[in-house]
Amino acid sequence: MQGVPRQISRGGKPLRQVVWDLPVRLFHWLLAALIAFSWWTVHHHHTDWHIWSGCAILTLLIFRILWGFAGSSTARFASFVRGPRAIAAYWRGQWVGIGHNPLGALSVLVLLFAIAVQVGLGLIAEDEDGIYMGPLAGLVSTDTSDKARHIHELWFDVILALIALHLLAIVYYRFRGKKLTLPMITGRADVQPGAEPMRRGKWWVALICLAIGIGITRWIIAGAPPLGS
Amino acid sequence: MRSKLIAAAVACASLAACSGWKSGQANSAQGNISKDNRPPATAKASAVTNGAMTNGMVMLAVPLPKDRALQVMKVRHDGMEAIGDANKALHRALGSSDIPTVRANAAKIAQLSQQASTWFPAGTGPDVGKTRAKPDIWQNSEDFAAKLRAFQTAARALQLAAGGNDVGAMNARFAALGGACKACHDKYRAEESR
Repeated sequence: MQGVPRQISRGGKPLRQVVWDLPVRLFHWLLAALIAFSWWTVHHHHTDWHIWSGCAILTLLIFRILWGFAGSSTARFASFVRGPRAIAAYWRGQWVGIGHNPLGALSVLVLLFAIAVQVGLGLIAEDEDGIYMGPLAGLVSTDTSDKARHIHELWFDVILALIALHLLAIVYYRFRGKKLTLPMITGRADVQPGAEPMRRGKWWVALICLAIGIGITRWIIAGAPPLGS
Repeated sequence: MRSKLIAAAVACASLAACSGWKSGQANSAQGNISKDNRPPATAKASAVTNGAMTNGMVMLAVPLPKDRALQVMKVRHDGMEAIGDANKALHRALGSSDIPTVRANAAKIAQLSQQASTWFPAGTGPDVGKTRAKPDIWQNSEDFAAKLRAFQTAARALQLAAGGNDVGAMNARFAALGGACKACHDKYRAEESR
């Protein structure tokens, strides 16, 4: 299954090829859905569901980071995180490849970072009445928990701004003739000849990454013993 | 085939990840709130008997003068903050089975809950001063009085449980108390302004 392009280039026309593996696509859409769900639940006073949603996002984040080292070529940080020179070259139109472009890579990193910060704040936060505590809130003082909640609320604006930028970029590329949404659903996109095809990760590696994500999440839900309860 | 396998595995695993979470208070709370089936407070205290207690709840028919109202609102705000602080300390103490701290804060909440009967006279709404108390409190005064009583009952029940040594019972009473707080706050407290 590895390294074999599904189609052979004919006459320099763009070819439809797999660019996103299933784990990346599932991660993306589950994350989007859970962020929306987290927002909805907290605005409708379902704080328990909100905490659940945050824990599920934590699992997704751990999975994605691991898959970024052990996954398909387009999922790996090493293959898409590039320096300023590559970003400048991309800006000038001198980039051939599939997956995240060098500029989009920055967006991926910033989004992952911002969401990780939000999850971290939520883990140690408590609600204003002391009815709900994040799974790690017992490790910090009441004062710290209250501050974490406050920043958690403000930080959501940062995430909203990044989501807005993300959506604007998709619209911008659409006007430039590049469709980004459908490939994130089907996994396939038109690829310029000359781009290196995606090397698929192994499905059982994905399962191991997921198992580690679930394991760490459950440990945190238990209060991170022996540090906590 | 492999994609389907992974999809199925991810779905199962996401569910599995969720099964270990012990949720806070609100889950088991619902059943306990409605145990107190006394008739709702008759919010008909006359203007003459301004301080009359009707079933644990003071409702004034004539709005307070503004300076007096602002005083009551300050006492109410500080009281609610004190209840919140005590509840947070109690929650942490329950997590570490620190019974003396649970006991002290349960007593504090029970005592403040009794004082809460005097915190919501007419004329202490958002039209008078800065407060998150919604005007609905005085429009649905019977429902509000019932919810305030449920809070007092739950606070007393937790105080009683905290007198013993059964941490399971304390957790159950704490959950019920959280449900009582939440039932009223969800309906009668405005969102926190940023």
